[in-house]
Amino acid sequence: MVERPDIRALVPRASAARLSRRAFLSGLVVIGGTSVLAACAKSTGFAPSALPDGRVEGKLNVYSWGDYDDPSNIRSFQKSGTSVQFDSFGSNEELIAKLGATRGTSGYDIIVPTGSYIPMMAKNGLLEPLDHRYLKNMGNIDPLYLDQSWDPGNKYTVCKDWGTTGFVYDTRAIKRDLLTWGDFLDAATTEASKNVALLEDPWEVACTFFAANGIDPNTTKKADLEAANEYLVNTLAPHVKAFNSVAVTSGIPEETFTLMQAFNGDVRQGLLATDKPDAWKFVYPTPTANLWMDNWAIARGAQNMDAAYQFIDYILKPEVSFREVDYIGYSTGIKDLAAMAKKHDFSYPELVFPDAEVIQRLTPAEVNSSAGELVAILNRMMAKAGS
Amino acid sequence: MARRKVNGYAAIGFPTWAYVVFFFIVPLALVLWYSFGYKPDLFTAHANDILSFDRYAEALDATFVGTFWNTLRIGVIGTLLCLIIALPFAYWLAVKMNPKWRPLALALVLVPFWTNFLVRTLGWQIVLSPRGFLSDALQNLGIIHGRLDILYTQSAVQLGVVYNYLPLMILPLYVAIDRAGRPLREASADLGANRWKTLFTVTLPLAVPGIASGCLLVFIPLMGDYITASVLGGAQGNMIGQLVASQFNTAQNWALGSAMAVLLMVFTAAAVIVFGAAGLIIRSLVRRSRRVQLQGGAA
Repeated sequence: MVERPDIRALVPRASAARLSRRAFLSGLVVIGGTSVLAACAKSTGFAPSALPDGRVEGKLNVYSWGDYDDPSNIRSFQKSGTSVQFDSFGSNEELIAKLGATRGTSGYDIIVPTGSYIPMMAKNGLLEPLDHRYLKNMGNIDPLYLDQSWDPGNKYTVCKDWGTTGFVYDTRAIKRDLLTWGDFLDAATTEASKNVALLEDPWEVACTFFAANGIDPNTTKKADLEAANEYLVNTLAPHVKAFNSVAVTSGIPEETFTLMQAFNGDVRQGLLATDKPDAWKFVYPTPTANLWMDNWAIARGAQNMDAAYQFIDYILKPEVSFREVDYIGYSTGIKDLAAMAKKHDFSYPELVFPDAEVIQRLTPAEVNSSAGELVAILNRMMAKAGS
Repeated sequence: MARRKVNGYAAIGFPTWAYVVFFFIVPLALVLWYSFGYKPDLFTAHANDILSFDRYAEALDATFVGTFWNTLRIGVIGTLLCLIIALPFAYWLAVKMNPKWRPLALALVLVPFWTNFLVRTLGWQIVLSPRGFLSDALQNLGIIHGRLDILYTQSAVQLGVVYNYLPLMILPLYVAIDRAGRPLREASADLGANRWKTLFTVTLPLAVPGIASGCLLVFIPLMGDYITASVLGGAQGNMIGQLVASQFNTAQNWALGSAMAVLLMVFTAAAVIVFGAAGLIIRSLVRRSRRVQLQGGAA
């Protein structure tokens, strides 16, 4: 069924009110001009959010990553009378740019940012604080995934799903057991040389070196960054075949690589697609790796507050949440999902629900002052690998 | 009266100049303006209260220069390959083909071009995969031993850009050759030239503007392309567009990204000027060697 969306335009709220269809067409040039001016000027005003009043609105606008929610869940939620409109973004930067530029008039109610970006978004006033009274099902979440360092007390967000980073290798090409990031780097520069795929993510690539050398992956020390640059660019880069964040989903069935740095749920997708899953081994490497979390949050300026709270609360129900896990292939952090997975004959549960011991040792990535240098290191690696 | 006339032309031209101003001059000026700024802190993409050329110094490091040469090589080889493939095809289309079938042939060129760029490029991932059908077929025919190892190499990028930009070469060439027209070719034959001589002295010289515009249409977007390289290229086929994209998307450093974009534009324009000058020199040499001396007339 196709819902007819309201016309939305990225214009200041004052002009949005008087924007008819005709004005929209004939006034494009004027809007172009004013938005150029708006981009130059630094305005601070924010359109206010609506307050929850107990009357659930008939619509809800969600801005999320593409194909990131089970359509059957959305359909059953819509039976309550609220139609849900999904738009998708491709990166946190895109999300932030749009919310920042519209200053509360984006029209989106629910957004799905990644944990490491939340302090920045909160600081810039892009998020509405959550009123936990409207989220009765928050108790269903495993405490491991509450109260994260980037959002103490879940002031702004609730866990949508989370994952971690590890590596997967072809046991026909690498005949020894790899367990640590040190092993990964060693195999990458020997048996797997020229057959290695790294994630196209500056933090993740640098983390392989930091973790292997017992350095905090969120380090901002100059000496650490210099050491990482030296090793990654001069030693590792010439052995790398590709920097590709989705390499693993096709790389396993097509056997394009023998060693791949990868997110856990993506490895599961790759294994489900291959006819030789036994040839591959996935490792949650020691001593640490990223714990990334995507989160439900309410955008500043949201107009459908009641529907937004109702949707988030609905998605936190265990049976709804399990359907989400089954669809997206990542854990949603709800309690007892692993037991439900067993009951439903869920394949490769170990790739979605790692042991508690693994989870304890993970380090959430931070966006900090080293971010620019990490990007520069990755770019230097790519240039080196291509020369 | 004259003044009113000028205003009248300005009004008629409104869509054109408004388009140029708002979608070309203003964005370009913004990029230029940002490139003189800096990234003030982690959460801000750019600031322009202090202006400097520092971002250009920062952008022009060994990474940028090395990647630029890599990109230039892919761009030049890609453009030449497109030309070599498109020229016989466009000639056949304009001269040899039954005009009845021409719309169909043009549609076959254009329809893939309307398909989403990313989807078309991803399609090659499947074709080139080591366990894909092409790999199997080549192995069965004994052409390669062991699996096809092209995906995530520079060859894959080269192939991808030729595939993606080929229609942009075929169309102007087709138009240019078509415009040369049958009467001129017939006249050439009547005057005793054989087919090759007609091709090299009549059809091709008249197609030169088409060749030039086809080369520009392929070369310029190709230099800024980063989708083909990031989908098919892997580490070996890194292109400069990816560096610019990483500054805007990942590093959130619009100042440095803008400086890189400006440098890319300047260098690409310089390359076009160099190749254009070389083309003009070659053309004048060819003309000189072929100059027709009329009996009794001055040269």
